[in-house]
Amino acid sequence: MKTLLLAPELFRAEGGIARILRSYLKALCEVAGEGDSVHYLALNDDAPAASKANRFTNGRNGEHVGCSRSKLGFIRHSFRLGWDSHRVICGHLHQLPVAWLVSLFRPRMEYHLIAHGIEVWRPYGWLERKALRGARRILCVSEYTRRQVLRFHPGLDRAKVVVVPNTFDAEFSTPTGKMSGAGSRAGPRILVVSRLTQADAYKGIDTMIEAMPVVLRQLPSAQLRIVGGGDDLVRLQQLVGALGLDGVVHLTGIVGDKALRAEYAGCDIFALPSRKEGFGLVYLEAMSYGKPCLAARAGGAPEVVNSEVGALVEYGNTDQIAVAVADLVRHLRAPAAMLNRAKEFSYPAFMRRLATALQE
Amino acid sequence: MCGIAGVIDGRMEPVARESAVRRMIDRQRHRGPDDAGLVSSASVTLGLCRLAIFDPANGHQPMATPDGRHHLVFNGAIYNHQALRAELEAKGHSFRTHCDTEVLLAAYAEWGAACLPRLRGMFAFAVWDAQERSLFIARDPLGIKPLYYAQLPEDTFVFASELNALFASGLVHREIDPVAVGDYLAWFAVPAPRTIYRGIANLPPGHTIKVNAIGRCEVSPWWHLPDSSAELRASSSGLSASRSYQDFVRELRSKLDDTIRAHRVADVPVGAFLSGGLDSTAIVGLMSAAGAGRLKTFSLIFNEAEFSEQSPARLAAQTFGTDHHEEVLTGRQVAEDLPRILASFDQPTGDGINTYYVSRAAHAGGVKVALSGLGGDELFGGYPSFNDMPQIARYIPYWRQLPQTLRHGIVRQLRKRGARARKLADMLEFARDLNELCSLRRRVLSESVRLPLLASDARRLAVRQGPNHPMLDDFVFELLGADPAQIVSAWEMRTYMADVLLRDSDVFSMANSLELRVPFVDRVLVEWWWNQPQEFRYHRHRAKAALADAVADLVPESIRTRRKQGFGLPFPVWMQAELKPFLEETFSTASLGACPWLDTTAVQNEWRDFAHGRDPRNWTRVWTLAVLIAFANRPSRE
Repeated sequence: MKTLLLAPELFRAEGGIARILRSYLKALCEVAGEGDSVHYLALNDDAPAASKANRFTNGRNGEHVGCSRSKLGFIRHSFRLGWDSHRVICGHLHQLPVAWLVSLFRPRMEYHLIAHGIEVWRPYGWLERKALRGARRILCVSEYTRRQVLRFHPGLDRAKVVVVPNTFDAEFSTPTGKMSGAGSRAGPRILVVSRLTQADAYKGIDTMIEAMPVVLRQLPSAQLRIVGGGDDLVRLQQLVGALGLDGVVHLTGIVGDKALRAEYAGCDIFALPSRKEGFGLVYLEAMSYGKPCLAARAGGAPEVVNSEVGALVEYGNTDQIAVAVADLVRHLRAPAAMLNRAKEFSYPAFMRRLATALQE
Repeated sequence: MCGIAGVIDGRMEPVARESAVRRMIDRQRHRGPDDAGLVSSASVTLGLCRLAIFDPANGHQPMATPDGRHHLVFNGAIYNHQALRAELEAKGHSFRTHCDTEVLLAAYAEWGAACLPRLRGMFAFAVWDAQERSLFIARDPLGIKPLYYAQLPEDTFVFASELNALFASGLVHREIDPVAVGDYLAWFAVPAPRTIYRGIANLPPGHTIKVNAIGRCEVSPWWHLPDSSAELRASSSGLSASRSYQDFVRELRSKLDDTIRAHRVADVPVGAFLSGGLDSTAIVGLMSAAGAGRLKTFSLIFNEAEFSEQSPARLAAQTFGTDHHEEVLTGRQVAEDLPRILASFDQPTGDGINTYYVSRAAHAGGVKVALSGLGGDELFGGYPSFNDMPQIARYIPYWRQLPQTLRHGIVRQLRKRGARARKLADMLEFARDLNELCSLRRRVLSESVRLPLLASDARRLAVRQGPNHPMLDDFVFELLGADPAQIVSAWEMRTYMADVLLRDSDVFSMANSLELRVPFVDRVLVEWWWNQPQEFRYHRHRAKAALADAVADLVPESIRTRRKQGFGLPFPVWMQAELKPFLEETFSTASLGACPWLDTTAVQNEWRDFAHGRDPRNWTRVWTLAVLIAFANRPSRE
């Protein structure tokens, strides 16, 4: 069987979608049988970088094409590689119409969609609806995303919209020994890791900052560390200043991989009370360090975070955030609980779920 | 009907905790003047005041199981308690009273949380499990009985039937939440799970809370509207769809008789509210047909004829031979009573004063339980939204295909016009499907009117929360596979009915020590109705056609075919006359000083435009604001 994976990008960037699609690539190669091959085509990638790709492929991988952002090139290669493929996996909704077009000429070819998050939580255009109807499976990263797909396309056969929860980046290694934390320790430390762009204002970083004065009433030495960068940084810095939280809230900017691991290792709580997480890989990363998580009762986050491993709050409710932080600091969750929860979303479990979903 | 309260806090001295719960019970004593009680253990105290409806001589609460493991405080009524009692007796339980409370306690001891789908009634109750050291709290499916709670940072959990009672505990800080202010202006009341106060939550209908000994709580839903997707409907066995319209109407009548039978069960006098509309007349007709004897019925009438339903109510009363009481309500009377009414408010509400007066009349008329037609419009399709929203929804995809600049231009023009056009502008700008249309349709103030009324901080928070209803996702997912009439109906039930009508009815009937029952807001009836074909449930040109046909032999034709009026009050008239001094004081700069989350200038301009007759149709907006400002200024009793 020949499988083609279509992706916006695989190796060019470190965004959430690229990371999960690398896990898909690895899993597709590993579930491929004798004589099968897996080809992959990325719209925004430049020329193939074998050194990067080797970590995610095995002997089953076939051609790897980077289209350097050329949409025409992407369509041309999709037809060329898809023509004799048995299965096409679309890594993004935008690529689904291309797969549908190919299927018009190759009716025996089946195509699937990976539905991540906000890109599918919206009404669909005529072509997208048509393409969704023709898809054999829609692989949703969470039950929340599955319901959003069914909400905006009520005519879809429910049975073909299935959940395959995300997993760690296949290259994300969990800590093996005791790690030292970043910065000096004065009191309970809350860590946020996120893009800080205006387009991502829904992630609730501002609500975390606004909750800090209430948190300090209970935990006077608490610190909030915000790791990440983007065009919303200035607004957040102003908010910190306006609330008189200099010295309490630290905006570190973007940090390297080693420093990020030290941040995870050194925190007491990981927090991202976001409104629109399709799944929330960062919670799993934090749990792999044995850290409890604070998330909003919104989007796909409640499918990862529960009261055993953290706390859920109403989005935008700073009082609830403060109560949850105090609870998580005062009543420590056993690190084993977080590690076990993270294991439920381990790569081997993901691979098994994906294989089952594709075979059904 | 009762008021319940409780505190979990292992570090508090039991005496201090009991004293806090006692104060909470005293503060809501109007909910249950007949009896009161308290129970305490190492870390928890539960309390209750009781309005005795079943077996008044017995049924003291808190009630414990014979083995002392479970302790119950319960607010509400379980209508199928006799059937459950027989089932539980067969399982070896024995009973000391004839109360529904004891049956509920045994049901929980026997089935745990799985007892909830077996209950038919209205309830909010809490059970302390001394063995597990956990508290279980549940609220009825559609939100008839309230439950408020706060999880406090010092491992303390506190709950009560009323917000005012929570403050009486001395454990909860009273501070108005600017996000909730934005919500109130949008929705006429603060939607669950928020309340008007920071840090206090309203348990949503059909939800439970499990609280452990250190006060950590987990909230989860226990009831959803039935899944109505075609494939599930085809495979459902218990709730079969009717085959012809005649069969459907016949079966509906039998379901209506059944719900009336269930809701009439009481050991005290039962009466009914009678406005003269189809819903309340149907209730009274069905009660009379069931042989209720000479019923006492109650209605409000006004000197302003265009607001009064005097004639149809009288016609209905004559038809069924009821002992009918008419309460004449004047603007002067309302102006005099306003301080008392505002004091009974738990949260600000733009509605509900009619319920206060008709409940007062019923209480004075000697009944302890009254039935109301509330919920008929939401279930049977009495609102124009059942027509309008699905029609607009059909055009939304085409509208969204238009160029963005054209759409923005049209929306901008609509925003310059009246309230209806502004609401349409919100729908065109923000709605992506029927759910979001329904969400926006119930807004009392459109986004372009609401935001300028808020001070800058509150405005920023309102923008962050967005224009849609805060429970949008929950409702949408409950309605996957639902048909358009079900979606509209569910939104009406889950928003306006639960957050405004039922909440006001509870507060204002309880303020008059009256148990109000709502036979149309019945889980058994709703689940059956939900499974019927849309073409039977809903007629485009006849509002509530199915209900009218089902009671055609009882209700006079003039009432069945009459346009909806309801229990509306002549506020636009009174606000320019008897209520004007109250409003002038309310909108004064001094009064607005207590409202830092409002933009004083913008709010005063709204009032002036109305007072000077420049915008007379704007009375809803002005009244909504006035209630909020008066609420923030009312003296605290704690």
